[in-house]
Amino acid sequence: MAVTVQQSPSVVLDADYRIVEVGPSAEGGFGPLAGKNLWECFPGSESLFRPYYDKARRTGAVEEFVQFYNGYVTRVRAEPRGDDLAVWWDKLHVIDGLTLTSLEDSIARTIAVIDDEHSSALRLQARGSLRLIAGGA
Amino acid sequence: MTTSDLYVVLDAEDRVSYVSAGLQDELGRWVGHVLWDHLPGAREVYGPCFDAARASGETVAQLVYYSGRVKRLTAIPAQDGLAVHFERLATLDVTTLGTLAESLERIAEALGAPEPVRHDSRARASLRALP
Repeated sequence: MAVTVQQSPSVVLDADYRIVEVGPSAEGGFGPLAGKNLWECFPGSESLFRPYYDKARRTGAVEEFVQFYNGYVTRVRAEPRGDDLAVWWDKLHVIDGLTLTSLEDSIARTIAVIDDEHSSALRLQARGSLRLIAGGA
Repeated sequence: MTTSDLYVVLDAEDRVSYVSAGLQDELGRWVGHVLWDHLPGAREVYGPCFDAARASGETVAQLVYYSGRVKRLTAIPAQDGLAVHFERLATLDVTTLGTLAESLERIAEALGAPEPVRHDSRARASLRALP
């Protein structure tokens, strides 16, 4: 399943990963962070997101992936725009740690969402491979 | 911070009547409020410990999980209310899947930890005199 692409990206990052634009959907959390370095604002996130962002910049192609950070399972779309990178995200699930019951349910849901997304990615990959095989046959 | 630094005193209706110095920043504004009004879903978690202490007139300690933390609750009944001490044992860390998995292990370990020795009963004479 693809990320819902709204008119404005959630954020736009410059070549140094500074937040240069914040869309309406992310204004609440990211608005005050405009101009700051993304990785400094979100400790521990660089190793999770940067490889995908770097790949999008390197290849010039859109990268879509699912990642867990700060209690959220998020589907992310990164689109290179010149030196900048436009990023959209959909929140798929958030950990609910209020009680042991809600935490257990939430962990199970997190695993299911991640598994489902990985399965979807594998299915898409398999379909792509089949198309290539069919095209080459 | 020791166990004695983190406690509140509740009246018979679970209204907060006193907050220790160690919890002032977090809970100081709750004085005069019913505890459950600030802690959704906590009554089912903390309530049995409070009820047992009040019913028995004895100190009751219990390991609980609520809102991302494992705590050792120690409820000490006295004439001027129920003193509830909180000792924080483990915290949920949702930063990454790695920290989540590690913190879940710590939480499971903490919930399996043995109960501590009961408080000195002399401390029950006056809850506000606790250090």
